[in-house]
Parts: sequence; C-alpha cells; structure tokens
Amino acid sequence: MRVRSDRLLFYALLPFGGIVVALFALLINVLVDNSIPILEREGLNFFTSPQWRPSETPGEEFYGILAPLYGTIYTSIIAVAIALPTSVSLAVFVTDLAPPRLRELFIGLVDVMAGLPTILYGIWGALVLAPFLKDRLMDPLHTYLGFVPLFSCQPVTGYTVFTAGLILALMVVPFMTAVIREAYSRIPDTYREAVYSLGATDYEAARTLVSMIRPAILAALLLGFGRAAGETIAVSLTVGNSASISACAFTPGYTIASLIANQFANAGLYRHMTSALYAAGLILLVIGLALNTAGLYMLARWRKTRVGR
Amino acid sequence: MSIASLRRYLSLASSISRLVKPSLGGNGYAASSTYALQTVGLNVYYGGRKILDNVNLAVPRNTVFAIMGPSGSGKSTLLRVFNRLVELAPNARVEGRVLLFGRNIYDPSVDPMEVRRQVGMVFQNPNPFPHLSIYDNVALGPRLNGLARNGEELDRLVEWALRKAALWDEVRDRLHEPATRLSGGQQQRLCIARAIALKPRVLLMDEPTANLDPESSRRIEQLIVELRDDVTVVVVTHSPGQAARISDHVAFLFSGRIVEVGPTREVFTRPRSELTERFITGALG
Repeated sequence: MRVRSDRLLFYALLPFGGIVVALFALLINVLVDNSIPILEREGLNFFTSPQWRPSETPGEEFYGILAPLYGTIYTSIIAVAIALPTSVSLAVFVTDLAPPRLRELFIGLVDVMAGLPTILYGIWGALVLAPFLKDRLMDPLHTYLGFVPLFSCQPVTGYTVFTAGLILALMVVPFMTAVIREAYSRIPDTYREAVYSLGATDYEAARTLVSMIRPAILAALLLGFGRAAGETIAVSLTVGNSASISACAFTPGYTIASLIANQFANAGLYRHMTSALYAAGLILLVIGLALNTAGLYMLARWRKTRVGR
Repeated sequence: MSIASLRRYLSLASSISRLVKPSLGGNGYAASSTYALQTVGLNVYYGGRKILDNVNLAVPRNTVFAIMGPSGSGKSTLLRVFNRLVELAPNARVEGRVLLFGRNIYDPSVDPMEVRRQVGMVFQNPNPFPHLSIYDNVALGPRLNGLARNGEELDRLVEWALRKAALWDEVRDRLHEPATRLSGGQQQRLCIARAIALKPRVLLMDEPTANLDPESSRRIEQLIVELRDDVTVVVVTHSPGQAARISDHVAFLFSGRIVEVGPTREVFTRPRSELTERFITGALG
C-alpha cells in the first residue's frame, strides 16, 4: 500500500500530467469542431480537388487541399530520399570509422543541428541555397537531363519543391541519424566479429550490419517523414507557395503547413477559409500521428529483438 | 593428483577411442610447414595491460588443439590473435610472430582479410545473422569472397558445408527460414557450417559448447573430432574434461602464460606443473 505522504504527492502532481492530456484533447476538439463546416460543405472534394479559390462572394468560395497535400508528400519524399542514405552513412562513419575525438565532435554537431531554430534553416535556404541551387544544379540538370520527368521543367526561381525538399533533408538528417546510430552502435560485438571473421572488408562488414538493423532504419524513415511533413517555416520560405501539381521537382509548390502559415492572416476576410485551414491542420495532425505512431511502434518492437536490445 | 580423477579423465579420453597419433598433412595443402600455427615470443597488450606474455606454441596440422584455462587467462584473446580479429579492439597491440603454415600473418605485407579467409571462427554464443535465412548465413562468406561462380555452385557449397556440420538433414527442407528458428545447438552447427563454407585451413572455436545443453554439446564435440580430417581445429575451453575428450594436443594457459603444452595424453597423465594438475583435477577455477 502507498503510505499517506506518497499518496499526497501523487495527487499533488497529478494535475500537471492532467494538463497535458487535457490540452491535447482540447486541441483535437478545436480542430475537429472547426473542420466540420468545410467538410460538410465540400465533402470528399475537399481532398480531391486541386483548386484553392477564395472569393468575396461566399457562394463562389471553394477550397481543395490536393495540391498542398501533394506538395507535402512530394517535398517529404525528396527529403527522406536524400536524408536516408546520408544518415546511414553518417551513422556508420561516426560509429565505425571516425577516431574517438572526431566522433564526439560529430555527435555534438549533429545534436546542435537538430536543435537549431528552424527559421535559421529558412533564411539560409531562401537567401543562399535557393539561388545557388538554381544556377549550379537545377539549370544544368534541366539542360542535360531534361528528359527525366523530375527535371523536366525550367526553374523560374530557386524557390521550388526541390529546394524545400533539400532544406527538409538537412533538417531531418540529425534526427534520423540519431535513431539509426543508436541502433547501429547497439549491434552486439559478436556479430561484428562474425562478419569480419568471414573475411569481410570494412565496407562489406558495414553493409551486412546495416542490413541487420533494417527495421530501425524503416522506423527512422517514418519518423523523419513525419517531421518533414509537419515542418513549416523553413519550407514556406523556400517552396515558392504556389498551388500546383507537377511531377517536376523544379516548380514552385505548396505544403499543408506552409499553406496554413501563409493564409491564416487573411482567412478572416472570407466566410469558409478559416474552416478550410482548420481541416488542413487536422489532416496534418492525422499524417503526423500516423507516421510517428508507426515509427515509434517499429522502434519499440525492434528494441525487443535480439539485436536491438 | 588423485588416482580416481586421473582414471576419470583417462576413461573420458579413451572413450573417444582415438588419441594422439602422428599427424600427416594429406589434404592437398603444400607441405610448407608441419605446423598449421606457430607463435614465437607472442605478447599482446590492451592499452597498457599485458594480456598474453611470451606465448610460444605450435599447432600440428590436422589435429585438434585445445587451449584450456580458467576464465580471464587470455584464451579468447589468444584465439583472436590467430585470425587477427584481436585488431578490432582499437587499443590492442601484438608483438612477436604468428606463423600460419610458416608465414607470419602480422607481417605488414599480409592482408588481414586474406588471413581470415583461411582461418574460420566459431564463437561462444551461437551467432547466426538473425536477419538472414539458414541458406544465406552459410552463403555469406562465399559471397563476400567470390567463391562461387554461379547459383548452382553456391548451392552445392552450402549443402557441402551443412553436411560437414551435420546439419543438412535437419534443415534441407527449410533452408530459407530465418536462422533464428533453429535450436541453440542447431544454430551453433549452422555457425560451424558458415565458417567452413569458406574452406578454411584452420578453424578456431571459442568455447563452442559453453552455452549449450549436454546433448547439443556432445554432438558438437563429435563434430570437432570429425572435422580434424579437413581442417586444423584450435578450440578454447574452460573445461579440462572437454579438452581431454576431443583434443590431440593441449595447452594450459594461466594469467596470459603457457604453463604447459604437449600431447593431451601426456599432459593429463603426467602433468609437469602442479598448477596444471590442480586445474585438470578441478581444484582451480
């Protein structure tokens, strides 16, 4: 049985835990409540239409979220496609190859990168990276590899889906590296010895051991995707903020988060836009929750296995 | 040494009914040396700590050579000197010469990958790769080293290795199941198959039965004796009984030094050192 003073402490601290739960419930409640009007008005068209048409005349207003939804997924795919090999390489380098002092430096740097205010990535992306990428990478890629759908359009400015994806990659690398590095460095030594005893080179050993932690890598991918999909400020500064759906990565685009950030100030001018933005926020929440839950679940299951323990 | 315990070990040893015979090469290798392995003035340090102190021994080819000693005596380190796995520890330092069929494997011109291809290893805990199937575990070494030219050749090699490890009949219908579905004893035999699929000239075994039940241990011991025809086996054990049952020669290692080395029957019947006598009668560690 709990002694009296312990019970007292329990009840004294309970409200602090309760506040978190209550706030989360309230947040979901507000999102759902405010989303209902637009969903009742437009139904499934809200998800399937690429049109985003504010109007002074409420009858002509129409909001479809497809373009920003597409942009969110597209930029996030670019981000994890770049971040995944980078994170795996970084994790292997830091764990296996870097001398101890360099290893500490790298781990520290990666942690600092993860904690940087995202606006810093945003202004650097918008002012330095975007023009650089346009001149040095996107223009040449379009000129010489224009037949690839990804590169099929001439970039007008540096503010494109590709630029946003690259900035996002930079931002999720520290996070994904942390997850992958943890799993990789916890592989029991006996497997390391086993693969070297078969005459493997460092590269072959790393490849074999990396394939051993595939579930953890998949978890990192899901968690990184979730982060990238929800990131707002750095994306809205670099993505170009124009609703379009194109296979080409060199067009400006939109993401759900940048849509909300850009439109919220003016939403009050229109009858239905606020509700549309709430619904967009709800979708973002669902995507984020689904990816994070899946990622954390995979990670938890991985930690129970023989290798992950 | 008491007469009773002497008898016990003698009977254990002779129950396997084969003891020290003069060993002949005879498996096709160039007879560049009568010894598979030789160490000359071997010292090993981890940082400032000396783990092995002036170890000199010679392992005749196609024999089973046991290294016995209490835990912490340096047995596992000595084993890892023979395939240069000791170098995975960043602060390890090896002095002296280690000859593999007459060639110093610590010579700067020698590639450790090449050494490890000739010197296979089986570990204390069965450690098949859990993400790979039974087949892929055995095929990993040949694949890494390009030993099979095509799938058919690889299939044959995998089957050969599994047969040698006395596992084929148990797994022939489930080659593509995860290796982790096997029992502990089967997993250890799979690890033996994985090691011998490279057709090594020497097989190192680090207390291969320490974590197995008695029946699985017995099978592994029997297997070790059979493998002697194909490879030279160096097996580390903390059990003098096991050394007596399976080895032709034995070295007793204590605190990083070789206390005694010789033909197993001699060491067990007429130990020259009192320390050896205490170890083999169970009065030590």
